Amino acid sequence: MTTFSVKQMRLLTMYKGSLVTMEAQSALSFQRSGAPRQFSNHGAASARSSTLEDIYPKFTNPQPSFTSGAVGHIFSSSSGMSSDFHYSSVISHSNISEKAPFVSQSSGILQSTSSQYMKETNNSSWCTDSLPDFFDYPQNAPIQSSNLEHSIMPSEDLLDYPQNTVIQSSSLEHSILPSEDFGKQSDWQEWTDQLINEGDALTPDWNDILIDTNIVDPEPKMAYHVGGSSTNSMQAQPLISQSSGEACLPLTATPCASGSQSKPRMRWTPELHEAFVEAVNKLGGSEKATPKGVLKQMKVEGLTIYHVKSHLQKYRTARYRPEPSLEGPLEKKTSVEDLSSLELKTGLEITEALRLQMEVQKRLHEQLEIQRNLQLRIEEQGRYLQMMFEKQCNSGTDKLTAPSSTELPSLQANPNEPGPDPVVGPFDEGTSKSGPDVSQPAKRAKVNK
Amino acid sequence: MKFGKRLKQHVEETLPGWRDMYLNYKDLKKLVRLISSSLEYGKSEAEFVYLLNNEIDKFNMFFMEQEEDFIIRHKELQQRIKRVNESEPSSQEEYEEEMSRIRKDIVDFHGEMVLLVNYSNINYTGMAKILKKYDKRTGGLLRLAFIQKVLEQPFFTTELVSKLVKECETTIDELFPTAMVAVELKDATITMVGEGIFRNTVAALMTMKEIRNGSSTQSHFSLPALSLPDTELIRSFQLNSPIPSI
Repeated sequence: MTTFSVKQMRLLTMYKGSLVTMEAQSALSFQRSGAPRQFSNHGAASARSSTLEDIYPKFTNPQPSFTSGAVGHIFSSSSGMSSDFHYSSVISHSNISEKAPFVSQSSGILQSTSSQYMKETNNSSWCTDSLPDFFDYPQNAPIQSSNLEHSIMPSEDLLDYPQNTVIQSSSLEHSILPSEDFGKQSDWQEWTDQLINEGDALTPDWNDILIDTNIVDPEPKMAYHVGGSSTNSMQAQPLISQSSGEACLPLTATPCASGSQSKPRMRWTPELHEAFVEAVNKLGGSEKATPKGVLKQMKVEGLTIYHVKSHLQKYRTARYRPEPSLEGPLEKKTSVEDLSSLELKTGLEITEALRLQMEVQKRLHEQLEIQRNLQLRIEEQGRYLQMMFEKQCNSGTDKLTAPSSTELPSLQANPNEPGPDPVVGPFDEGTSKSGPDVSQPAKRAKVNK
Repeated sequence: MKFGKRLKQHVEETLPGWRDMYLNYKDLKKLVRLISSSLEYGKSEAEFVYLLNNEIDKFNMFFMEQEEDFIIRHKELQQRIKRVNESEPSSQEEYEEEMSRIRKDIVDFHGEMVLLVNYSNINYTGMAKILKKYDKRTGGLLRLAFIQKVLEQPFFTTELVSKLVKECETTIDELFPTAMVAVELKDATITMVGEGIFRNTVAALMTMKEIRNGSSTQSHFSLPALSLPDTELIRSFQLNSPIPSI
């Protein structure tokens, strides 16, 4: 094992600590969940988990390997570096000890297991979720094989973002072939089949959901979010309709027990809040209304009393202390003083100052939106390039020229217009448009606003 | 360490309750250095990813919490305006007073929401950078795939908050009586710039510009430099403000 300096050890222990906390909690959850599949694989995994034992000593006892935070990936031996076939899951962690952990409910993709989980979720405390990750490993065989073994975490692995679901199912399929190391292939097959079947059915909905439309949905929507976790349909599914994407992202996550009382972290929407307010008003106002009553009145599936309770609390605070800002004590003093000094200034001056403030803020927001769009495009392009690169690799050496007209979300165009530009792939020679690397700096000048 | 410095500065200047919610860029950078010298690659990557995921959770939690608050406050402000306009005011003066309070509140509210979007963006930028560093140092290929996941996270999907911001702007336009006259830097303005939200938004804007000022490792994954027409004006806010901003 590498020798680390004191400082380095400190850093290591820092997250080792949080890792251990998380495992202890997840250990409980696994005992509770009773999902047989999870245990079926760990046997194989733990037998071979030699490398990780040094750092994750807790795993020497029968605990599912998923909690090791290990990055598992299924490496397809057929291709050199195909991210398509990579599949890894990392379990996350949240600072459970300090904050309300993320509670998550299992993915609706796995209908059979999810119902199991669901029964237990309502009153139990779950925490965080696994974060299935996709990444490529370099050609480092020994490590890969050990990681392969640790990648057997069916329930977590399969809980993934909607649009990745389909990819996942295919990657799982492919992954089963080269990996004879897997103890229980039959389990994998089952999971995969499920995934494929569910995935197709669910993806279209998710595609709608994830499109950023501004269609206001009159019905209250339920949106769960668990940090870093993928999304799930569950009972939230029926309520999810074509509306603003972010509001409807379903939830998912890996069941993971936590010591403290945890409630599922939900993402509120204005529509949901409207329904909430209506319910509260029907019950006689924010003071009179009880969480239970509101919950009943709202009739939103998947909404728990914890959600309502905390929301009600916030609501009451907002009503009786209008505009509580996040100012600290120092700032509060300033604003009190300024209030009196402001009164001395003319109304016009104040208004003008406010206008100026608005201008700055609007400007900031505008720039943020632009920046965000650029960032999205950059990644989209990167993804595209990666895909092209892999296609080149896979299609063999006789095909050196990339397809002549392909749609590429080009950064060279106006960032606000997603117009497809026929851009040639990286291997093409002698074309009018140069490759992305070369042209970007020059063309970027146009992009600047 | 340009971004790191900028981030640190930003965090110091930011709203108090937010200071702990930003990316631990410095620590992650240290870890990347650690990992690049470590021999046990697979383990290290797992640990690194684990930490990153922790950060993501932190962002998500904070972001969603704030978002929920914004939804509530947004509605409340609208109610408040409605109430003031509909109820019979005792006197014109009181009406004016309340309106002026509302105006201030709503402008600050707008600013706070924008600051949350800024929060989201800065953390995303930091993540992208640290991933890039990781790949560079370890020769790994973590970045591309991981960032895809980050893009989908609640904290980065800021559409709702942006929508609220725009709605706020509409409301504000209705509240502010006359068209905007020539903006001069009067004393009132300068004092106000020194206060809370306004100071933060000005600072955020300047920080953004500086973060994006051409880096040494510009690639097709980098953002172009930010050009603001009234950079000088905005910068002068900072210089003139009574509260020194470093």
